[in-house]
Amino acid sequence: MFILVETLFYFALAIQAGPGRVVELVLPRDLSANEGVVLEVKLGAIASGAEIEIETKTGRTLGVISPHGIRAGNEAGTYVVPVPPEVIANNRVSVRLIHSFQSRRRAPTNKEVKDIRLKITPR
Amino acid sequence: MPKTTSPFTRRDFLKTGVAAAAGAASLPLTGRAFISPMQTAKYTRYNVMSPGGQKALQSYAVAVDRMLKLPPTQPQNWFRNAFIHIMDCPHGNWWFYVWHRGFMGFFEETVRNISGDSSFAFPYWDWTRLPEIPTGMFDGPLTPTDLRFEPYTRNFSVFTSFIQPAMMSYWNSLNPAQRVQLNTRGYTSFDLMWNDISGYSPSLKQGVSGNMAYAITCGSRYLSRDNRGFDARTNYAVSQFIIDSGLAPTQFYNPDVSLSFNSAKTPSHNSPAGANSFSILEGYPHNKVHNYIGGVGPIDPGPYGNMTNFLSPVDPIFFLHHSNMDRLWDVWTRKQQARGLPWGPSPADKPAYDGELFLFYVNGRGEYVGTTRAIDVFSMQRFDYKYEPGYGDDLIETTTSAVDDKGSKARIRGVVRANTATLAVPSNSIREHLAEPRGASLVAEISVPHPTDSSPTREFDVLVNAPAGVTTADVNSPYYAGTIAFFGNMSHAHPGAEARFAVPLPKSPQAFQNLGAVNSTVNIRIVPAHGRGRTPIIKSAIVRSV
Repeated sequence: MFILVETLFYFALAIQAGPGRVVELVLPRDLSANEGVVLEVKLGAIASGAEIEIETKTGRTLGVISPHGIRAGNEAGTYVVPVPPEVIANNRVSVRLIHSFQSRRRAPTNKEVKDIRLKITPR
Repeated sequence: MPKTTSPFTRRDFLKTGVAAAAGAASLPLTGRAFISPMQTAKYTRYNVMSPGGQKALQSYAVAVDRMLKLPPTQPQNWFRNAFIHIMDCPHGNWWFYVWHRGFMGFFEETVRNISGDSSFAFPYWDWTRLPEIPTGMFDGPLTPTDLRFEPYTRNFSVFTSFIQPAMMSYWNSLNPAQRVQLNTRGYTSFDLMWNDISGYSPSLKQGVSGNMAYAITCGSRYLSRDNRGFDARTNYAVSQFIIDSGLAPTQFYNPDVSLSFNSAKTPSHNSPAGANSFSILEGYPHNKVHNYIGGVGPIDPGPYGNMTNFLSPVDPIFFLHHSNMDRLWDVWTRKQQARGLPWGPSPADKPAYDGELFLFYVNGRGEYVGTTRAIDVFSMQRFDYKYEPGYGDDLIETTTSAVDDKGSKARIRGVVRANTATLAVPSNSIREHLAEPRGASLVAEISVPHPTDSSPTREFDVLVNAPAGVTTADVNSPYYAGTIAFFGNMSHAHPGAEARFAVPLPKSPQAFQNLGAVNSTVNIRIVPAHGRGRTPIIKSAIVRSV
């Protein structure tokens, strides 16, 4: 009844210091009091046991996508990651994506993380 | 099943129970009118740490021990039950909850019969409040690392010799409808299914350790009695913030997964999960708890413990984990009911959802259930159980027909999240309030802690439905409802003492938009008057129709 979803655009992919790929995402407008923000992350095929870590540039964990119930070789699906409002500054949030497996952390390829979007949701 | 109209009238009373995310765990559970259609259910699924939960664990251990010893040709054999999961479980689609409700419900009957405990119901593991494996789950047959499992799982050859002939025989007895579903799943032959047990990859022509659903006894669970807690990432996945976010969607299903309580709509519950969208609760706490218990991360690249792959029900913790997932579905359902919102699929979706066939269940007598539709196991009434309250119940808005103690006036109550009191107010009441020619017909009562020496700000402006960026307001603001002010020497205030203020809601249409729905969300905040000082946390808020 109060569908206020906005699909947002993202840009500014850049490799930064530290493992992972940093993506800056921008809200198209100010949030209102009864709205929240989520990331939608679409994954391709990743190895069994591999995870995609998501954190802010300052290292605050936003979540770890840990696919389960995926047959080997299949794409891992799309996941929703809630974003605490306090990590959004000036309608922007930068997140670092890290492929984690066997104690190795690296930037995911474009085939492993196929898309990431920021969305406004009602609360 | 779907409810599309509100059961409330203007004079009905609606009380919200939105807990502060940071403090929900400490909120009292007593004295609340929990909505449950199952208050009189025969069985109760208790928190595993409660006396009822501990008693249930004893019966569970008896049943596991006995089921381990059953021959593999019997459907109630412990491992045979786990194969139901590998052959039929949905993940990443909207039948995730309902299929597991049926799986658990029938299996609960099995445990009841085999243990001899006629009152048995699965306890739930509320990992938000207890982010570690409950200690009792390391005792005897309640851990798959126990010696009782060794005769069957001490190595892959032993496991294969034990279970494969019986499974092959069962496979050959399957009917055409079951075969069609297995084909959809990608199991067009027994060997292809068995590859997921062994981890063999036909395309790579070699085994992949991380894909192996079989787990050796000593490696069947990563977490141990001395290392039973979650790591930071798993803790985050079960945190109040994540659970609250997962319970927030107001639609049973929406193609936009960010707005959907359930995962993706697919043609079949056996559709491969790969390209689908996972709801927050399935994709996050459900998945992460499964995987961490199996050792994803610490023991990459596997082989992992049972919980990580398709034979996860081999680990007895599976059913406590899924009991909590099922409980959260119940919490979400009651939240929806309290708000007068649909808690099932839309009328357009209902035939497809309700009619999905589940063909592999085994009942408490060890018989194949046969054709079961999703709607047949949708309700908890089918298995006649209810839940002892746990995390999330405080988020439910409870309806009550209680009459205000000062007269028969409507009262709407909210508690605070992130210092914003949120209330669901009937839109009709707001329209009447705006149209009221004399004064206000809606008045807020706001309780805030008394200022103290260390927090001496004593005047606060009340904002109603102000956008997030609005941090101050004057009397001309459409969101301004008034200023509450304390008087006197602040050092006399008792720690924790509260004061309640009545504030008429503003009569500004800008503050009340989107009145098209039955109920409208009203957010109330307070900010320091004059734009300076610290803001106390609102303790509670009530809106009365006067």
